[in-house]
Amino acid sequence: MKLPVQEIVDKYKNNIYAAAFSICANAGDAEDVVQDTLLQYYMTHTNFDNEEHIRAWLLRVAINKALNIQRSFWHRHKVPLEDYMETLSFETPESRDLFAEVMKLPEKYRAVVHLFYYEDYSIREISQILKTSESNVKVRLSRARAMLKESLKEDWLDE
Amino acid sequence: MNKATDSNRENYKKAFSVLESSRDFDLEDEKMARLQKNMIVKRLVAAAVICLVVIGGTGTAYAHNVGGIQQIVQMWIHGNQTDVTLDFDGEGGYKMSYTDEDGNISESEGGGIAIEPDGTERPLTEDEIMEDFSDGSNSIDVVVDEETDRITLYYLDQAQDITDEFVDGYYRTTVNIDGQDYYITVAADGAYSVSPDKYEDVYEDD
Repeated sequence: MKLPVQEIVDKYKNNIYAAAFSICANAGDAEDVVQDTLLQYYMTHTNFDNEEHIRAWLLRVAINKALNIQRSFWHRHKVPLEDYMETLSFETPESRDLFAEVMKLPEKYRAVVHLFYYEDYSIREISQILKTSESNVKVRLSRARAMLKESLKEDWLDE
Repeated sequence: MNKATDSNRENYKKAFSVLESSRDFDLEDEKMARLQKNMIVKRLVAAAVICLVVIGGTGTAYAHNVGGIQQIVQMWIHGNQTDVTLDFDGEGGYKMSYTDEDGNISESEGGGIAIEPDGTERPLTEDEIMEDFSDGSNSIDVVVDEETDRITLYYLDQAQDITDEFVDGYYRTTVNIDGQDYYITVAADGAYSVSPDKYEDVYEDD
């Protein structure tokens, strides 16, 4: 099966953007990732099993593209994260602090954290999306949680 | 799943739900076809960057100033040495253009930043961009094809499919560029490290 591109845009554009931003920390690069990912979907001949398969594919492609941008010399000027955050409408100061502290985590931790807490994927599913071992995902998630607990104190609960 | 996880998850979603893509996507076939063409050009140029040819004994790229802030460098593009024109914007960015083997002009742009010791960021200077172009380690890149999951290692004019070469999750090899050995370690997800001294860990927690 394959859903129309317009339906993908309506349903997943912001999920792709958020996943890309969580790695790039840069709106311009994240927008480029969204566009390239949608284009990749438009071009792909993959026969998806179901919509969940499509969602995982979109996030994997977006994360790979975001990581490729990060590793490349070819990335555009960065707008300082603080400046970009000034343009975002956080509901509460706690939300803003959480966002800021997550973005301070090492890049490889952010991808795992985002897929776990925002996209509700299990450790096994994240290992498949990121093509790494479950133990590696567990280690990164555990270290990220410890860092967030250290910085956010009571606003991040022990799990 | 425990309550703490649920609570953290709820707070995380609340914090990150502010992120929304602001770009409009024109999904007409004509527009998508044009985007497709641009993406191919972008990939082609990206491959060109990692194929920068370094000649001469000084370790610098062959380049000559053609006036103002434009330079011409000679690069490997799809196995052909090609003159590439770089126009610097003075703010860390540049546009590059070259004529491909079919006579078509391909254009793309890029840029970079430098992070100072105090953590502040500034645009790269033209000299720094040229220096980066001429560093042998920048002739090395690893690309994961999102569609096929094949992993390719590029250096100079070489392209090697290493997908089936991993041992215990890693691929290691050494290449010599301009008389300098580079030790390359590639992880199964395409992340990699390059060092002139030894095989470095890709991840600090490996």
